[in-house]
Amino acid sequence: MKKKIAPYLLLTPMILIMGVLVFYPIITTFTYSLKKWKLTSPGDIRFIGLKNYRNILQSDSFWYSMQNTVYILVLVIVLTTILGCLVAAFLKISKKCSGILLALAILPWALPPFVNGILWKFVFFSGYGFLNKLLIGIGAVEKPVEFLASRWLLLFVISIVVVWRSVPFMALVCLAGRQSLPEDVYEAAEIDGGTKGKIFLHVTVPLMLPFVGVGLTSTSVTAINVFDEIVALSGYSDLAKNILMESYLTTFNFLDFGKGSAMTYIVLFFALLLGIFYLRSLNKEVEY
Amino acid sequence: MKYAKKAGYIAALILFLIFAAGPFVWTFIISITPDHAMFAPTPELLPGEVTFENYKELFSGGQRGSRFFESMYNSLRAAAITLCIGVPVAVMSAYALSRMEFKGRKVIKNLLLITMVIPVMATIIPLYQMFAAGKMLDDIFWLSMVYVSSYLPMAVWLISNYFATIPEELEEAALIDGCGKFVSFFRIILPLSYPIILSVILIMFLNTWSQFQIPLILASSMETKPMAIVVSEFMTKDTIQYGLIAAAGMLALIPPALTALIFRKYLISGMTKGSVKG
Repeated sequence: MKKKIAPYLLLTPMILIMGVLVFYPIITTFTYSLKKWKLTSPGDIRFIGLKNYRNILQSDSFWYSMQNTVYILVLVIVLTTILGCLVAAFLKISKKCSGILLALAILPWALPPFVNGILWKFVFFSGYGFLNKLLIGIGAVEKPVEFLASRWLLLFVISIVVVWRSVPFMALVCLAGRQSLPEDVYEAAEIDGGTKGKIFLHVTVPLMLPFVGVGLTSTSVTAINVFDEIVALSGYSDLAKNILMESYLTTFNFLDFGKGSAMTYIVLFFALLLGIFYLRSLNKEVEY
Repeated sequence: MKYAKKAGYIAALILFLIFAAGPFVWTFIISITPDHAMFAPTPELLPGEVTFENYKELFSGGQRGSRFFESMYNSLRAAAITLCIGVPVAVMSAYALSRMEFKGRKVIKNLLLITMVIPVMATIIPLYQMFAAGKMLDDIFWLSMVYVSSYLPMAVWLISNYFATIPEELEEAALIDGCGKFVSFFRIILPLSYPIILSVILIMFLNTWSQFQIPLILASSMETKPMAIVVSEFMTKDTIQYGLIAAAGMLALIPPALTALIFRKYLISGMTKGSVKG
């Protein structure tokens, strides 16, 4: 008898915390999303079914944020994958002072995303920031470029900052993966007469795919949840808002709890889709 | 050919250093540049004169400085509470999930894992309602509990995977020697798994230091606001003092940067064992 309840006793604190602070709110958010509920008209709270969702899908503002979200997502995924693999390759061949290089490589991941945003704001400053000084110095442009004033350029800068924070994870997962590949596979491939290029294409790339998969899914979840960097670079302005920002503004600026909840459920839907891929790739890596 | 390889490597090293360390160096330069020379319309990268006024203002005990240090203290307090509650809860759950057989084990494990990807915004509206109703807003303990709930999936996942690699025989031997389950856990399992527990502690600390979105909604008083929020207020309130923001940013980076430098081995093993941050 005692043996049977022991695991449940050990799990009780975790179940209580997760139940009260995660699962209960998740379900409540869904019920909020089916209601008309604005704090500005507190007397008028009622069930309206999927009307919030329909209104959101018909609003231009939502699609504008959706475009921004997708733009950031695609750019972050592409750049993080390329740079992550390059950094992993670089760290693999750096035998000297690899400790310092490794520490430097994980630094952006360890820092507060909001402060990262500030650091890069100084680099991309629209007046005479670092990059503009550099560009003028080498004669590439005559007048300072307004990096943070136009939509696509600003989104590009935001993506760069997010990439800076996500490259370390990608690089380290790839590096750890590469180091766990058995060396005899390479010896066998060399004996079979494979050239360097062929070995890379037919041995390294397929064996590395599961590790890149872990990095990719984690990066995608980061990329749809960008928030701190947007605030640091452009404040709470509409120019570079993604769906997360849109849902924050709807809920806490316009005090429309119903519509805001519905919007977070749309974000949640995308996160869960990616999450399923992530869990699959995690489980695969562990088996390997 | 050999020289070409070496030149290529050095070029890669320089590029890596510029991208990894460049933003810190530039922000530091801004923080010691006098206001009038900052962003001066010249292509020169280094300021003609150096000033430590911004750091002096933060340390002098003025209004902005004291608010900044109070927020750093708040972040530290939140991290302490988070660790005191989060680590034992994670270790207990991980032990049950990895070394005990019981009904519903798989369901609990999968449910916990799926919450790893839930965005904060999806839970924060009811949490705000709940906290407002229960007078729990602006309370550093409840704020820390929300942090704990967001780290638990990652922590339990990492620790239980590690526990699973410790051979059953070790524990059985201790049981035969007459130790109870409880004693054998503290004598055998815990000492063996200190590296992963240290990784979890470090990741939880770094995450708490980074918090922005959750306290933005749940903490608005000076007694609870964490560092990132107060720095963000330097940017939006009346006049924007870039030098001061740069100096505050540099100081705020010291704790996590030192942590990353000193404990890089544990952080890297925590990251590569499949953890997610943020």
